[in-house]
Amino acid sequence: MVKIDSTLISQYIISGIVIGLIYSLMAMGITFIYGIMRIINWSMGEFYMIGGYLQYIIITQVLGVENWYVGVVLSMVGVFLLGMVVQGLLIRPMFEGSVEKRTEYATIVTISLGVLFTNAAVIGAGPFIYSPPGYYHGTHILTLPVSGTRFVAFIGTIALLSLFYLFLKKTWWGRAFQGAAQNRVGIQTAGIDVFRLDQVAFGIGVALAAAAGALLAPEFYIHPRCGSIATMKGFEIIVIGGLGSVPGVLCAGLLLGLIESLGAVFLNPSFRDVYGFLFLLAILAIRPTGLFEERERVA
Amino acid sequence: MKNIMYAKISGIKWHAISIAALLGIVSLLPFSVGQYYMQVFTISLYYVTLASSWNLIAGYTGQFSLAHHAFAAIGGYTSALLVTSFGFPIWVGMLAALVSSALMGFILGLLCLRMRAIYLAIATWAFAESVRITISMTYEITRGDLGLAVPKLFSGKGQGLAYYYLFLGLAAATVLLISFIMRSKMGHYLRAIRNDEIVARVMGINTTRWKILAFIVSSGIAGIAGAFYGHYNGLLTPIMVDFNEMAFVVIMVVIGGIRSIAGPVMGAILIELFTETFREFGEVRMVVFALAVIAIARLYNEGAMGAVRQGAQWISRRKRAREGVA
Repeated sequence: MVKIDSTLISQYIISGIVIGLIYSLMAMGITFIYGIMRIINWSMGEFYMIGGYLQYIIITQVLGVENWYVGVVLSMVGVFLLGMVVQGLLIRPMFEGSVEKRTEYATIVTISLGVLFTNAAVIGAGPFIYSPPGYYHGTHILTLPVSGTRFVAFIGTIALLSLFYLFLKKTWWGRAFQGAAQNRVGIQTAGIDVFRLDQVAFGIGVALAAAAGALLAPEFYIHPRCGSIATMKGFEIIVIGGLGSVPGVLCAGLLLGLIESLGAVFLNPSFRDVYGFLFLLAILAIRPTGLFEERERVA
Repeated sequence: MKNIMYAKISGIKWHAISIAALLGIVSLLPFSVGQYYMQVFTISLYYVTLASSWNLIAGYTGQFSLAHHAFAAIGGYTSALLVTSFGFPIWVGMLAALVSSALMGFILGLLCLRMRAIYLAIATWAFAESVRITISMTYEITRGDLGLAVPKLFSGKGQGLAYYYLFLGLAAATVLLISFIMRSKMGHYLRAIRNDEIVARVMGINTTRWKILAFIVSSGIAGIAGAFYGHYNGLLTPIMVDFNEMAFVVIMVVIGGIRSIAGPVMGAILIELFTETFREFGEVRMVVFALAVIAIARLYNEGAMGAVRQGAQWISRRKRAREGVA
């Protein structure tokens, strides 16, 4: 057992906050799509994976590692466009009346989409693990020494989440999204094309996953199944925080990061991925709708 | 009136004849195919069991659980560990597998089934991933990714055949149990819950109780199937709880035809045969399946079984029309 002093504790707390915030990026994408369309996108991890692959191709073949930030933006744009196409082909029809049970349809279709992308990645890039070179040299966050990549991912996540927040609060599109989350019929009466909005929302949601994939690529490596852990964290965060709640995502993300980090030091580090689930079960038992969710109104 | 009676009797007769023919074919099947395909059919019967039991909870009841493969693994590991570590006889292990997976289903159902369906999918998914990680990490007990060697149930020359009939019995019992449930009062409750849970509750159905019961039955069946699989395969690994395995079950049910008794049966056998026959195509098979599932969900909800049913209706309509002319 390690000797526990205050520096060590502070290091674990900071490490938990860092990793929790990075997880939140993924969760934000899931919860945003859920907020607008009331569906869960199960292929989120595959969009994360595609973001990682795009980033790898861009920085190793085209731009060079020093331009990694351009690569992150470009892979986000690429996945955004892919998401728009997927939404147009597969998700949009369920709002046009031909689907009997929306949740079931969306679950089946997005799970199959995940299978499709994973296996397409194996066919296209082989079952190999790619690791792009690190983006930045090792550094410190307060008392915690961190790898350059994790530092970059932390700063990048803060930047992206702040931009996303400003986008939601200050722009016309952002306000339209808030309206759609509150009442889909309502914003249609205000003359907004809700189908267009859905398509863009799906694109933005998966682009956030792609950003996580691109930022974390040197840390967690790139392979066809690399999105599964990030997706699991994302789902745990949104259930803990409450589906569709933006402050819930941040709060639950930080909590999850802290619990994993402290669980790893005080209990057993092998099981750090299980603590999140135990926490989720505890939340479900005590407060079934998560920490922040407003009560669902059923029509 | 007389015509209707006649139609009814002949309908039942046709059902009985086709079921008898099917049972005849599957019982005699091992004698007409080689050793290799007998194993393929044995595995596909395992998937028939998983797919049918998942169809009960996800298809008929509308509770999209994504932990079915995890329940199979819980059953498999329970039985294997009881037999290898404590020296219990295999049948006790199998019984314990049934109990432990049903119990886990009960606990998980108790926590998630009171909530909206979407929570169930997420929580069961996280549960399955946690089961996989736990099995990997407790390698002192489960031997983790190395895999746990499991004593086989049958040995010797005729073992392939014995296993085939064992899995056939399990699959047939599962399908019978589920068709019995769906014909009973419980089946009507479950359908009502899927169609509109609030209305069902208003009509006085204790929806949580019936959902949990369906969840217990379905996870228990998965658990015993997992135990059978362990004692058949001789090796259990955490790959069993890989999400691909769950996706495989979903693919089988949707391609065969969700919410029908025969759909999952047909889907499981078709997909497993296809997978084995086109082994050299590797991942391309999964891409084909995924595209097929998307196409079915998007364009034609009823799967292969729906197509067969509509084909049969079309033929009988044509026949009737021709008789009418004559």
